[in-house]
Formats: sequence, C-alpha cells, structure tokens
Amino acid sequence: MKITAPHLGNVYLAAKALFDGLEIDYIMPPLSNKSAIEIGSLYSPEEICLPFKIMVGNYIQAIEKGADTVIIPGSCGPCRFGEYGEMQMNLLNKLGYDLEFILIDSPGDIGIKELFNRIDRISTKSNKSGRQKIKVLSDAIKIMNLIDKIEGEARYLTGYEEEKGKCKKILNSCIREALKCNNPQEMIQVLKEYEMELNNIKLDKSKNPVKIAIIGEIYTIIEPFSNLYIEDKLMDYGVSTQKKLTPSWWVKNMALSPVKLNSLDIKNAGKEYLSIGVGGHGRECIGEAVLAHENGFDGAIQIFPMGCMPEIVSKAILPTISKDRDFPIMSLIVDEMTGEAGYVTRIEAFVDLLERRKVDALSWS
Amino acid sequence: MHYLGVDVGSVSTNIVLLDEEMDVVEKIYLRTKGSPIKAVQDGFKILKANYNDMKIGGVGTTGSGRHIASTLIGADAVKNEITAHAVAALEIDKDVKTIIEIGGQDSKIIILRNGVVSDFGMNTVCAAGTGSFIDRQAERLDIPIEEFGDYALESNTTVRIAGRCAVFAESDMIHKQQLGYNKSDIIRGLCDALVRNYLNNIGKGKEIIPKIFFQGGVAANRGIKKAFENALGYEVFVPEHYNVMGSIGAAIIGRESAEKLGMTKFKGLNLAESKFTSTSFECNDCTNRCEVVKINENNNDIGCFGDRCGKWSHKIAI
Repeated sequence: MKITAPHLGNVYLAAKALFDGLEIDYIMPPLSNKSAIEIGSLYSPEEICLPFKIMVGNYIQAIEKGADTVIIPGSCGPCRFGEYGEMQMNLLNKLGYDLEFILIDSPGDIGIKELFNRIDRISTKSNKSGRQKIKVLSDAIKIMNLIDKIEGEARYLTGYEEEKGKCKKILNSCIREALKCNNPQEMIQVLKEYEMELNNIKLDKSKNPVKIAIIGEIYTIIEPFSNLYIEDKLMDYGVSTQKKLTPSWWVKNMALSPVKLNSLDIKNAGKEYLSIGVGGHGRECIGEAVLAHENGFDGAIQIFPMGCMPEIVSKAILPTISKDRDFPIMSLIVDEMTGEAGYVTRIEAFVDLLERRKVDALSWS
Repeated sequence: MHYLGVDVGSVSTNIVLLDEEMDVVEKIYLRTKGSPIKAVQDGFKILKANYNDMKIGGVGTTGSGRHIASTLIGADAVKNEITAHAVAALEIDKDVKTIIEIGGQDSKIIILRNGVVSDFGMNTVCAAGTGSFIDRQAERLDIPIEEFGDYALESNTTVRIAGRCAVFAESDMIHKQQLGYNKSDIIRGLCDALVRNYLNNIGKGKEIIPKIFFQGGVAANRGIKKAFENALGYEVFVPEHYNVMGSIGAAIIGRESAEKLGMTKFKGLNLAESKFTSTSFECNDCTNRCEVVKINENNNDIGCFGDRCGKWSHKIAI
C-alpha cells in the first residue's frame, strides 16, 4: 500500500514525518505546480473552485508515481469543500483508477468512533506499537506547529531585517533541510535549529515597515502556489505579513469546536459586522480584518478562489470595515486563469498606497 | 537635465522626455505589436536622432513590460501603472480626486484623497470596454479609430447595446445594424454600454467625486468622455497628455529615485543600435518548472525573468 494526500502549504513536512515514523509507504505528490493545475482543470467540473482542481492534480500526479491509497480531507460542509471528498472519489473512480480512499471528515459529522475507524485503516498498516504510534503522531503535530511558527516569524520579521533577504533565505533553507530528514526526531531537531537561527538574526527595530494581514479563504492563503506566492512577493518588497489561519490554527480550532471555545478572539472582534457563520471561514475573515486593524497593521489583503461563497459574503462586508476604521483592504480573487501581471500590479500598487499613507511626505521611489 | 519615462503597455509603448519643470518636451507613441524590445528600440532611435546630446538625469519605467524595459535601458525606478498614473495626474492638478484610466487591455479607477491614493480598482477577467475592443469595432465598422468617438456625438438617440461582454456586445451591435439602426446611434449605444460596464464593474463601491481625470488611450474617444459625463453628472477632464500619463509618472518617479541615489543607472540612447535577443526555456530544476526568459544584448546576458526562486535572475534570497 502506498498512501498519498493532497498538499496544503507546509503540512507535507508533518505528513512525511508521520509516515516515516509509522514506517508506512507513501508517495508525496510533487509540490503543486502548473502540471497539477492542468491535470486538475482537465478532469474537474469547470465551475468548481481552484482548491478542488489543484487537489485533483495532486492526487493524479501521486497516482502516476504509484500511490494506491488516497487520504482525502473532507469536512461535510458548510461550504462546497464539504462535498469535495465524495466528488473527488467519484471522479477518480470514473477515471478508472483502482484506489482505496480514506475520507477524513470532522468528528462532529461522522462521530468520533467512525473517525477513529478511518484513522485505524491508516495506522493498522504500521507495525509500530500503540504507544509508539501516539508518539509519532504527537511528533508530527509538533512539526506542523514548529514550521508554522517559523514561517510566521520569518514573514513578520522580514520588514525589520538588517540584511535584506535574510528571513526568506532562512525560511527556504529550513524547508529544504527539513525535507531531507528521514525520521520525526531528526526533523524536529532541524526545525529547532532554524527557529534558533531566526531568533538570532539582526533586526533593525527603528524600522517602521508596512505590515499587511493576509486574510480570506483558508486553502488559498495557505497553499502558496494557489495565491501565486503572494507572501514571498511581499517578503521581496520588505513588507511584514501575518496570517492567522494556518494548519496549526485549523487543528486547534477543530479540536476546540465541539466545546465552542474555538477562535473566540476572532469571533468577538468581528461580531459587530458578522455575528453568524456564513460557511467556510467567512466569519473568521471579518474578525481577522478587525483584529489586524486593532493590532496596528497598515492594511489587509483578502484572497479567495473564484466562486467561493463564504468569502463573497465577507468581501461585501469588508468595505464597511475599511471605511469605519480607515483601514485599506484589498480583495484578490484567484483561479487557474489568474494572470500574474495584473495580480502583481495590484499588489505593488497596494503596497505603494500603504507606504504613502504611513509617511505622507515619503517619496514615491 | 532631462528625464525619461517609458511605459510599455499591451497595445502601445510610450516614451516621454520631460524637462527640469516636468513639462513634456517630446512624446513618442508607438504600437507595441507584441515585441516590447523592438518598440523600445524604435522609440530610442527617434530620441537619438533628435536629442543625442541631451543629458538624461533619471529614467523610470512602467506598464506590463516595465521589467523588461528596465533591463534594456537601465531604469532608476520600476513602478506599477496605478502609482505612475496617480503621480502624473497629481503633478498636473493637486485637486484631482478620481482618475478613470482606460488603456489597451486594462481599465482602472484610482481614488485619491488629499493627494494620496486611497483606493483603486482594476478589471480582472474581462476586457470589454478597453481600447482593444474599441479598436476592433472601429475596424469592423470601417471607421478610423480617431473619428470613432465623434460619430457618437452626432447621435441624438441611443441604442441599447449589451455591454457586459465584448463578444456579446459585438453580436448585439451586428444585430442592431441588421435591423437598420444608423452607425452613429449604434456607436453611441456602445459608448454608453462600455461606461455602464465600467461603472458597474470597476467603479462598484467607489466614491467617484470631482475633480475627475480621464486618461489612457481611450480618453481620445470623445463619445466615451461624453457618456461618462452623462452617467456621472460631473465634468470629466482629459489632460493634454492623456495618452502618455503613465510614462510621465514613471519619469517623475525615476527622477526622484535618481536624485536620491545621486546618479542615474541609465545606459544611454545607444541601445537603439544594440542587438537584443530573447530566449525562453523551462527550468527543470524543481517541480515549479518556471518559464524563464533570458535577454541578451550584443551577446551578453543582461537579465532574466520568470524564475520564482531567483536562481537565474540572481536575486538575493534563494
């Protein structure tokens, strides 16, 4: 059996550690790229959103490399993403692949017992003892948290770095080195070293960089290929960015949701504008926009895939927040047709706008 | 000292030469025709013939081809079109509050308050209403593009054209022609449809207040200007150099950068005689498979674009 799973940002590092630790055979799809989206668009319904298409591309590229068991993340709604699992299984079956599927749904929908049943189907392939398995799982979660923390810090500190490009260099080489590790312990060690390195870089605290919060639909803000590497671009401009929705946030949010203690800060911040869930992370998007303003950010960029219903709702609310608080927010919509030139022009112009607002007399250059 | 601004757009490549007072000494408006390198070189040939001894103190580039242009000529500043247009408009009139800019394939709105850009919008997936579409319709109706807008002014009544999509607008126009409506009424209908589309699309949710500037190639079309005035209820101003505003902005920004640095990176007007070739290849070093373009001047590589990691363009962080 060879397991595969679709990409979501840096989660592949934790997934690699997990399967390495459990000694389960796995195939990691090539990082989301042009071919993935070409394959995905070819086989997916035309109107479906970008995450679906890229994920289908991931599956098929992994299947071509020999994967025969596919882990599909589902969530039973409340946006279209909830139906993706079923649709993707159907789609792959119709293409004639002989595959086993493991659909991971939220325990709220399928029950905790069924969830364990499904997870069991993965873990029974491992010869490790129960205790060892739990250790590996907790290591994998640790890795996910670590890489999210490193990435977040590198992106935020960019605006303050003394040597331009240092943060990006550290982040890139951290991911490269972590990927070379063959067991969870080794990977944790590498990540910790890079965390230390990042903590020790020279910062110029007197700098007052432009700070932008990245908000919007969770997949398109986490999977860099889908947003045309917006955070990397902003790093090149020396802009500090922050995103709250990360894979580790998602896990924590999921774990706390049955007791309704999840993301209280975000919900509270946004309740003046949107007090109910509108599906996906539409409500979070609103809350994050307000929080970003309160936390001293200069602006926010909302990113979502074409046709994403929850984010269309929040897009309609954002201008009110922007006006009430004199806080610039730009929405960027991505799909497989997104032209990079116009996209970059918008980002650059938005950064210019924020820069000019910060220092009124600042020169244009 | 003089300053140069180069705007390499999808349809036209515009070059302006400004004097110390930021007044336009020369403007060159060329069709890009898909080869930005040649267009820039052609423009420089004209400059070299007339201003060979002129001292250039700063250069800026803008437009979708701003990076390639910068590599060719050695620019002091490379700026996006939105900022460039805003800077140029503010140079002419500090009180401008709204800029409507319609170019070859882009249409934009820029909202300014207190001399600072406060909001902007740009067309995303549709080119209906931009210069290319109007060009095509003028050609189809066999009317020189320069006179196209004037036809609309002759009309007393408007014919409603579906302007949401360029393809359907064209079918609708043909349909109205077959029904026997006269040309000027149809053209007026088209101008109205384009303005409607612009305001519903790009202008949605934006506070459009005077003073309003209309710039970009399409501003030459008096029919569209009139349609904007009718729809908005305000006077719309078309600045004298409406079609090269991007390059004027670029020149101003280029000057600021050069002055800050104390020198210009400009390579001189001789590039008209250089031999440029561009080659593209797919880098197979990782799964991103970037399409990399390499620009070569007289057998020396002068720049690379399109690689995400910076391996070819020698960016610092890899």
